[in-house]
Amino acid sequence: MITRLDQIIDVLKNSEKKRLVAAYANDSHTIGAVNDAVMRGIIDATLVGDKDIIAKTCTEHNFDISKFTIVHEPNELKAAQKAVELINNGEGDMIMKGLVSTDKYMKAILNKEKGLMPPKAVLSHVTVMENPNYHKLLVMSDVAVIPQPDLSQKIALTNYVINVARALGIDKPKVALIAATEQVLPKMQACVDASIISKMADRGQIKNAYVDGPLAIDVAIDKESAEIKKMDSIVAGDADCMVFPNIEAGNVFYKTNTKLANAELGAMVVGAKCPAILSSRGDSVRTKLYSIALAALVASK
Amino acid sequence: MEPIRSLDQMVDHLRESGRKKKIAVAYAQDPNTIGAIAKAIEEGFVEAVMIGDEEEIRKKAEEEHINPDIFTIVHMPNDVAATTEAVRMARMDEVDVVMKGLVGTDKFLKAVLNKEHGLLPPKAVMSYVCALDLPKYNKLLFVSDTAVLPYPDLNQKIAMVKYAVKMAQKFGIEKPKVALISATEKPNPVFQGSVDDAIICKMADRGQIKDCIVDGPLDVFLACDPASVEIKGVATPINGEADCLIFPSLEACNSFYKGLMLFAGGELGGLIQGTTKPVVVMSRSESEKSKFYCIALSVLMAD
Repeated sequence: MITRLDQIIDVLKNSEKKRLVAAYANDSHTIGAVNDAVMRGIIDATLVGDKDIIAKTCTEHNFDISKFTIVHEPNELKAAQKAVELINNGEGDMIMKGLVSTDKYMKAILNKEKGLMPPKAVLSHVTVMENPNYHKLLVMSDVAVIPQPDLSQKIALTNYVINVARALGIDKPKVALIAATEQVLPKMQACVDASIISKMADRGQIKNAYVDGPLAIDVAIDKESAEIKKMDSIVAGDADCMVFPNIEAGNVFYKTNTKLANAELGAMVVGAKCPAILSSRGDSVRTKLYSIALAALVASK
Repeated sequence: MEPIRSLDQMVDHLRESGRKKKIAVAYAQDPNTIGAIAKAIEEGFVEAVMIGDEEEIRKKAEEEHINPDIFTIVHMPNDVAATTEAVRMARMDEVDVVMKGLVGTDKFLKAVLNKEHGLLPPKAVMSYVCALDLPKYNKLLFVSDTAVLPYPDLNQKIAMVKYAVKMAQKFGIEKPKVALISATEKPNPVFQGSVDDAIICKMADRGQIKDCIVDGPLDVFLACDPASVEIKGVATPINGEADCLIFPSLEACNSFYKGLMLFAGGELGGLIQGTTKPVVVMSRSESEKSKFYCIALSVLMAD
């Protein structure tokens, strides 16, 4: 069982390398992150973009261009489409956004005929956080993609965090469905949906996990709070995963933890045929590396 | 207290406990009602105030070979006035139970539900719980709602759970097993009832509903048949031994109990719930025995 993010890198070093395809990798930020992962020997990489710009960038930053496969496509949207095509052709196991704008990148992924979405799949986002104040990793959703998930989307989110936690070696993860309270208050949709999903898990409609909710954050991740409140729940105080009721709750939680509690994280978009990395310029070097590593780990499961 | 497992045991229990309650019958000149009340008086656990047309009451009693002097008769020949008086007596603690006689159900309930002079506290949910005595089940089954709430919403369903639990406890079942009934044990958002069931279960997990073991959605097999639980492999604390069944709609519950009365030799006792004092409303088509059990049940439930 992986309890720290850098352990993912160790695991990947000892397994078959997965292939990353970077869409429109025309910038040092993207190539640098990919280069870091390649140099550590955890992935192979294909850079789709303008070969002259890629070559120039590599020279400027002392990246060894011979470590990458280069596919020349100087147009932004076409580069994204080409990256998707490579995945669909089995020439890549995960995709990463380069200099292409997010909307064009997503457009290529979401294209009904040529994209990466299975029919009816829910596109969402999973973040894995390492917090020095918690005894293990926390797998969370959705802090970035779906603003206000409805019941069926929350069920999808629940399954996504379970799958990622299992990829991290947690055989039967404990999933907390987060709300403002562990009491069931029917006027709060978060409480209502959490109750329904809990029962669905009881009935085997959601598998391979212990699921409980509604749970407030304190009760979900703090044993003492769970004990004080006399929670009769295997999840309370020891959650591996958290499903948030809406994007604001999840977003505020992870940003607070990274900025005020020295948390590190890796993240990816899930729901497509392969993990999709959406790293932003503001991410730390570690976050970029961990996101690629996480995607590679999930792709290998 | 040893749990009461049949309606006859309930009657025995009342007889042995020496419990006696006073019932006001609204518009009492109905031979069915007179017969059932007379039997309860004979058993020794009821005193009756018959409100209605005195001459008619006496006549109907004599036609049934019942001595009308076993009743206190209050002469009020108008049905609404008689009902209002019965409800007033209950409000003033002059009687413990109110029972519908020959007055129409709508007029009777109007008096019971009257905001100023009725028997329903503000915001209380009125519902109906039946205790079913079934030859093929080894204990009583408390079911709701057979008669009042057509499509209970979440809040009403929670009230129904509490009423059924309260009744089961009066029968000596300390921690009743409550099954929330649906067509399948899997919550499915298409069926609002199954969604509400999941919410109620979690409320019980969190201690918001007390003194009972709740699970649902469950189908009737999983609720009442341990063999089905084993075959299906569903982990449920009810384990096929439900004391209470809460149905998603009146149609479902009504068909369930009527089917059992007709084809399975069942008997029942039932009561309106939510009122400050027990209120007995019986259907004319119920058996003599069931009518008598309704009265006995009201005596058991009366404070």
